[in-house]
Amino acid sequence: MGARSESIPFRENAAQAVRNAALRAAMRNATGTFSVKRSHAIASVPIEEWRELASQVRLHVLDNLEEYVNRFERNAVKAGATVHRAKDAAAAREIVWCLLKDHGARKVVKSKSMITEEIHLNDYLERQGLTVVETDLGEYIIQIAREHPSHIIVPAIHKSRRQVGNLFAEKLGCERSEDPVVLAKIARAKLREEFLSADAGISGANFAVAGSGSLVLFTNEGNGRMCTTLPELHVAVLSIEKVIPSLADLPKFIRLLPRSATGQILSAYVSIISGTRKAGEATGARHLHIVLLDNGRSDIVSGDCREMLKCIRCGACLNACPVYQTVGGHAYGSTYPGPMGIVLTVLLEGMERAHTLLDGTTLCGACGDVCPVKVPLPRLLRRLREQRVEIGFTAAAERLGMVGFGLAARSPAFFELAQKLARLAWKPARITGIGSTLDRMPMPATTPFRKRIS
Amino acid sequence: MIQDAVVDLFIENATKAGAHVVRVTNVEELNSSLAGMLDRVNSVYSPGLTETERTLDIPAECRTDDYKDAAACVEEVHGAIAETGSLICSSRGGRAVQAGLLPRRHIAIVSAENIFADLDRFLGDLGDSPPTNVTLETGPSRTADIELTLTIGVHGPEHLGIIVL
Repeated sequence: MGARSESIPFRENAAQAVRNAALRAAMRNATGTFSVKRSHAIASVPIEEWRELASQVRLHVLDNLEEYVNRFERNAVKAGATVHRAKDAAAAREIVWCLLKDHGARKVVKSKSMITEEIHLNDYLERQGLTVVETDLGEYIIQIAREHPSHIIVPAIHKSRRQVGNLFAEKLGCERSEDPVVLAKIARAKLREEFLSADAGISGANFAVAGSGSLVLFTNEGNGRMCTTLPELHVAVLSIEKVIPSLADLPKFIRLLPRSATGQILSAYVSIISGTRKAGEATGARHLHIVLLDNGRSDIVSGDCREMLKCIRCGACLNACPVYQTVGGHAYGSTYPGPMGIVLTVLLEGMERAHTLLDGTTLCGACGDVCPVKVPLPRLLRRLREQRVEIGFTAAAERLGMVGFGLAARSPAFFELAQKLARLAWKPARITGIGSTLDRMPMPATTPFRKRIS
Repeated sequence: MIQDAVVDLFIENATKAGAHVVRVTNVEELNSSLAGMLDRVNSVYSPGLTETERTLDIPAECRTDDYKDAAACVEEVHGAIAETGSLICSSRGGRAVQAGLLPRRHIAIVSAENIFADLDRFLGDLGDSPPTNVTLETGPSRTADIELTLTIGVHGPEHLGIIVL
């Protein structure tokens, strides 16, 4: 973990990513498709009204976070669940491992969860000798490829059907196919065995309902339902800000999450799980353990970037971001990519490690426009960029340049002098090759724009 | 009259979501629609928990008590939501909600009077003590995880049939 304090090599990763034509084509196709589908899905609904309502609920929760989390805990316990609080990733991993050990679990099926990616749960459990099987098709693909998700909704978005076909043939020993339908069938058969033989299921949650102690999960494949209803033991890991006040608030988010994420009116399955199986019931895990993870949230909620915690992880800002569209998710070197990922990673992992990600934005504002809960991402990105300068995490050349620009912009005489110098310095700079980026910049005009209009 | 419009909206939205929806007015029509949907299906799980489920005409030799091995699950669901075209599957009354998930075919019967106009009308009244499991099911199981190519039936049912009674 010593490497943690080193900053993420975002520029290097991004430079490598843009040279990968196959990756760029896949990203363009995926983000473009999602953006178009989202536009269709919101075209005939009062989206602005919905966003405002949802934003208000999320803000209200953040204003009273401790109270709602306590209420959720009380009601979840009342419904039969056991609730554990984890201060950080290490504590959460330890709790999950102890629960599995106590129940004698050897094999665990998992439904897709970003929070378990955040705490690196799979690696940890595998090191303890457990078999962990990801069951979302995309997660399954990247698990057997031993990679990490590159998108928070479609984790294997960077992989082509050819790559998946080769992977399945190699790792699963099946006949090679490039047909997504055939590949999905192979995964279905393989994973069905795993579901029916697993000792425990691990899931995240899209929402936690304080009033009823319920967990809410959105899935399209049905794997989330299987992980949470087939094994005797269900362990849910979620961060504290996932809480919403009551089931009556849920429609607001049901309407927004799938539309923003995949452009669907609704995901195939929305499961509302309230505690354990009770007497006379035939559904539900016998044991439900809920791990409520803080991992920095309590600090974030009292800071000036608190609105980041409104995020419901739909991925719309990823799809809308010109940088994400170009470099893909892996370049960010973090659990969460794209605009929300930049802000969250800086807040969770600190400026020292994550300040480089702040280069990954054009400040175009597209992320803020698409956010279903009005997280002011452009403002948060600017705020963190200011902080980066204040703390001093910018290159010396950039700081010097900014001081120079500040001087020139404050005095017309300096400004004109700078323009003249730029023209004079242009040719020598190009010839000597100082800064290859100059190649792409136009030569400064002989008569400056200001002179031409005055 | 209003409920008719709600039912129509439900049928429209459930169909858009990929379900095969038929509307019937009596038990005879119900059983004949069911027979069509179960053509050549030889292992059917149907729990017989409601009056409607007990009147279903499913031959004894086609029935199984184990939903894990069944080719189809036929059941009456708690209700539906017109706004989204969703079925409401509830664990209330000892129902195994996962039974509709494992077989390749899920055939759900919903009474027209149990169709809610929108999400608020159902979830708003669910209160603070909901059943252990309430699942909104909208269309068949699907994924787009490989090149965003829509693939139906990855883990759950490939075919969702709905009979509105």
